[in-house]
Amino acid sequence: MNTAQQTARVGLFFLLGVALIWVTFETLSDGKIFKDNGYTLVAGFENLKELKQGDEVRMAGVKIGSVEKTRLAGRRAEAILRVEPGIKIASDATATIVMAGLIGTNYISVDLGTPGSPALADGAELHTKVTADINTIMSEIGNLGQKLEGALASITDSMKGKDGEPGLFQKIDKLVSANTESTTVTLSNLRDITTKLKDGEGTLGKLINDPKLHDDLLATVAEIKSAAADAKIFVTETQGILAQVKSGKGALGTLLYDEESAANIKATVKNFHDVSDKIARGEGTLGKLLNDDALYIGVQNTLKKADRAIDGLGDSGPITAVGVVAKSLF
Amino acid sequence: MPTCPIHRNPITAAESPAVGIAIEGLSKNFGPLQALKNVSFAVEPGEIFVLMGPSGSGKSVLLKHIVGLEAASAGRVLIDGHDAATEGTLEKVRIALVFQAGALFNSISVYDNLALYPREHQLGTEAEIKEKVMRALQILSLENAAQKFPSELSGGMKKRVAIARALVMEPQLMLYDEPTSELDPVMSATISEIIATLKDEYHVTTIVVSHDRELALGIADRIGILMGGELVFLGPPSEVATSKDPRIADFFHPKIDLKKPRFKSLET
Amino acid sequence: MKQLNTILLGFGGAVQLLLQSCKYLGTLPRQRARFIEQCYLIGYTTLPIVAILSFFMGSVLALQSGYSMQNFGAKQFIGSLVGLSFARELGPVIVAILVAGRVGSAITAELASMKVYQEVDALVTMNIPPARMLVMPRLAAIVVMMPILAIIGDLVGWFGGALVSKYVDAIAIDPEAYFSALRRYMKFKDVATGLVKAEIFGFVVVLICCSIGLNTRGGPREIGASVTRAVVASLISILVLDYFVTKALM
Repeated sequence: MNTAQQTARVGLFFLLGVALIWVTFETLSDGKIFKDNGYTLVAGFENLKELKQGDEVRMAGVKIGSVEKTRLAGRRAEAILRVEPGIKIASDATATIVMAGLIGTNYISVDLGTPGSPALADGAELHTKVTADINTIMSEIGNLGQKLEGALASITDSMKGKDGEPGLFQKIDKLVSANTESTTVTLSNLRDITTKLKDGEGTLGKLINDPKLHDDLLATVAEIKSAAADAKIFVTETQGILAQVKSGKGALGTLLYDEESAANIKATVKNFHDVSDKIARGEGTLGKLLNDDALYIGVQNTLKKADRAIDGLGDSGPITAVGVVAKSLF
Repeated sequence: MPTCPIHRNPITAAESPAVGIAIEGLSKNFGPLQALKNVSFAVEPGEIFVLMGPSGSGKSVLLKHIVGLEAASAGRVLIDGHDAATEGTLEKVRIALVFQAGALFNSISVYDNLALYPREHQLGTEAEIKEKVMRALQILSLENAAQKFPSELSGGMKKRVAIARALVMEPQLMLYDEPTSELDPVMSATISEIIATLKDEYHVTTIVVSHDRELALGIADRIGILMGGELVFLGPPSEVATSKDPRIADFFHPKIDLKKPRFKSLET
Repeated sequence: MKQLNTILLGFGGAVQLLLQSCKYLGTLPRQRARFIEQCYLIGYTTLPIVAILSFFMGSVLALQSGYSMQNFGAKQFIGSLVGLSFARELGPVIVAILVAGRVGSAITAELASMKVYQEVDALVTMNIPPARMLVMPRLAAIVVMMPILAIIGDLVGWFGGALVSKYVDAIAIDPEAYFSALRRYMKFKDVATGLVKAEIFGFVVVLICCSIGLNTRGGPREIGASVTRAVVASLISILVLDYFVTKALM
């Protein structure tokens, strides 16, 4: 081979190598050094968690920039975000740190803000919001499990009665069965009673004719049903009783005139009502769990991942503990 | 075989003044082995000095000291007043060594072998170098071998190429290491004639290491004989014949005696 | 003790050779032809084996890590794993080992035979320092060629991993996902670190091989011994240096 050919090949080879290095550089650094354009925003957080330099900034899931720097500024942590040019961020947009994976990959999510609000300028500060991270969610779930168990236990207790004393339903049941004989006698009075009931006279009349009360009871039952499987037994029992009450069996007369019993039932129902109201309003842990969709979906995703991890890992460490809690809960 | 063609094209009117060499108390040890024992002699400028001796007597080692390839254990070699062992002597004095095996660069052609020295030292343009190289090749009747590689050459040709390569350097001191070994008698004579003619034409100081008697007696101005690392004889060729030293007599006129072979006497 | 002495002597010889060669760096322009020739031998002719080996290294890496990682649902990180380990560690080391085996051994063999057949001595008597004519162009060539070989090794290794990730059923990750994972966790700095490592390894390998070749003594048998010694010394140096260079670059 002559020298010219050799020189040509070496030259070509060299150019190829330089080109490859350049391409790699461009790809991996997004050409950051050549065009350091776009503008920066400051996002202050109480805790940056796993966020690090180079993590993405997304708006509605689309990448719009990256975390240029993280730093400590006084009593808070700041992330300097470099946003691509042409991307407008509304001044009332909120930034949150979002977890993309179980093993500590995060990005900053910026919401769209309200339309028409002015765009943020270079160096401006973004509103931020603290979101639950995996650790708080997991400890919440743990607490939730305990609370739920306690609540169910007390419900069961109130049904069964404590220390040998008959519970509410047992009392009713006893009342009903003990007075079967007098039912026939009572039956004759029924017509009178029904007319009275129709007119809305007496406690039972009120009970039956007040649709709000009835609806509440049904709603409560439905909510409890969805909240806890254990409560199902109770509900069936309640339903059975209600059926009896509806069909007019048992010591209805007694019940009718026993204002105390009626008040008892009313009180119990009211308690459930309160609880379910709270749940419906999203108060308390259970309420949050049921009402905060985002949290629920987040937890669900997390647990799915945890589940997968558990499948592979068998038994090792905290993930498994969380998994067990999660499994017993759902 | 071409005879010596030197008279046709003498190399430039070489202004290379020959240098004198002084060897002073030179000793060299290789571990326990003493290769040279306190050797002292001088070589005059423009002289052909033939260093003789049996194999392993230290001739080649002495030659390596002169050219600076080996460092002396004791004593020193002065070339035109410069110590051969110090770096830079080779820059002040142009010394050419013709190695026994030629030591041609096997990976490049004969032409490139010859052109290496002037190219590396930037002695003229490529055209000038070519002229110089071709003249040296012509002197040694090697024009046709220019584009061949050393591996394609015969032993005699290799030696001539090695001499040609030395010639291109326009040396002040020519050293030959066994220039006629492994050659047929005619080729040996040719080489001897080349050595003598080069010396006549360019007045270059020449040291030849050889055990070729014909060469020594034919072209030497003086002869030195090394035996076992010691200089045992120093004088003109005419004195060799009259030497009373039995070792020298035996070395110059070994009798082949089948009745009493030497190797048997060595055994006892 | 004698071994240690030999090692120290070799080390000292190499350093000396390096200093001598540096002294002649200025002669590079007029040794252009030699430099190009060495670039050709060191870079161009080594490319195929670098490509083949890197490709299969990348494939095997993806295969192995894919099998282990899918057990705990982390196989989308194969790209990052192959990318990072190739850029930072495997690429430079593989290329350096190949250079030691292919280029280094050839250098030692050539210089040792030149030494044994007195060509080096001839150079010395011609007042042409071997460091200038034989060593410096080689060192210059490896400095220029090594990063190129290394980047090609990296890229080919990545593609090997990508191919395996796509076509092996147990893994089945799109090249898009593979490369996005690779890009996400990697900075150019990782690649640059690898290139620096490759540069250092290549330079040391060539220096060692030149030094051992030029210090060969004795007959033709010693050529083979020198080549063996040079390759072994190169490989050891690569791995020992690897540790320290990695630590220094962290």
